[in-house]
Amino acid sequence: MTWALMMDVSLAIGLLFLAWQALIGGSLLRGIIMFIVFGMVLAVAWAWLGSPDLAMAEAAIGAGVTGALILVAYWRLKRVNAVEPADPSPLRSGVALVVAVLGTGLVAALGLASVAALEGEPVAGQLLNEALPETGIGNPITGVLIIFRSLDTLLEIAVVLAAYVAARAALGKRQVDLPTPSRDAPLMTALVTVIAPLAVLVAIYLLKAGGQIPGGAFQASALLAALGVMLVLAGRLESTLAVSLWVRLALIVGTLVFCLMGLGVMLFGLPLLAIPGTWAVYLIEAAMMVSIAITLVLLFAGSDGLKGVGR
Amino acid sequence: MIDHLLAAAIVFLLANLALGLWRIWRGPTTADRMLSALLFGATSVAVLILMAEWQAIPALRIVALLLVMLAAIITITYAGISRASGSSDQPGGQQR
Repeated sequence: MTWALMMDVSLAIGLLFLAWQALIGGSLLRGIIMFIVFGMVLAVAWAWLGSPDLAMAEAAIGAGVTGALILVAYWRLKRVNAVEPADPSPLRSGVALVVAVLGTGLVAALGLASVAALEGEPVAGQLLNEALPETGIGNPITGVLIIFRSLDTLLEIAVVLAAYVAARAALGKRQVDLPTPSRDAPLMTALVTVIAPLAVLVAIYLLKAGGQIPGGAFQASALLAALGVMLVLAGRLESTLAVSLWVRLALIVGTLVFCLMGLGVMLFGLPLLAIPGTWAVYLIEAAMMVSIAITLVLLFAGSDGLKGVGR
Repeated sequence: MIDHLLAAAIVFLLANLALGLWRIWRGPTTADRMLSALLFGATSVAVLILMAEWQAIPALRIVALLLVMLAAIITITYAGISRASGSSDQPGGQQR
């Protein structure tokens, strides 16, 4: 058995086991921990399949922010009920069987379709490889997201904004309480002091590097969002219902810059949403990074704004 | 030769993870499980760095960097939950 085959087999078995345990795990909390670990192993699996971009997204969203979100949800559930939540075993539900059959069918159909697609000539990929060098962007994923399929990305960033507005409208003027460790915990101060500046540095690096190598606005914003969530949970940032102009501006800056850029180029005789150069790619990505990050943090904190807590 | 060593090291680390998985499965306390989840984070970083060398994909080191930065968030969340529910090691208080 070759090393590569051993990797394939162990990752596949590990992922299936973790997914099964996350759903069936004896208690809710054990299922949550299995889910967090599932995210980490999935990131390794994507890396093994040679997709660093997907591995980064999975590590940031799956293992980081979602894990914290589900843990906090569990804590709030416990506080509301004050008892161990009911056994989450999905086996008892008839709906689960229908969903499982439909889900398996969908995955099988997608798998068969992608195997069939391998037969033909990769037209889109070839066109992309031919067109990419002219743009000055080396990372094909950033090229597709910002230059070749910019309308899709514009709609995605608009959806993020719409999701935040909908969540705020649904929650109303209620403060959401979050579990915070003791402010005086010595390790906490050290951890936050070390992690916070490093996270900002790495996020900016991801944004800049994303033009040429794997990385980009979405990975950078996920990291910034994780930093924001960390600061909220560590009690360094406090959620508030007072809305500041800066927060509102940060929420819309991604959509705003993208729209203004897309319309502005028409003044110079270019088509709608044309990208005039690499500087425009980085400008749009930076604006999107700020918007996505602040939206995720505010969604997590369930608040209209954030304010720093003095030492 | 060096490729075989790197691959063997990765497989050894994955075997460590399998043992960690057993600890998560068995528990018995939530703190055991959480520590094992953190072991997964650290070992995944090691696997990614070795894999970057073995497969010659330098970008995997960035994935490892991201995983290091994000491991802390779970720790902080768990610390907050433990404190807020007034128990040092078992937020759920369950032994299953």
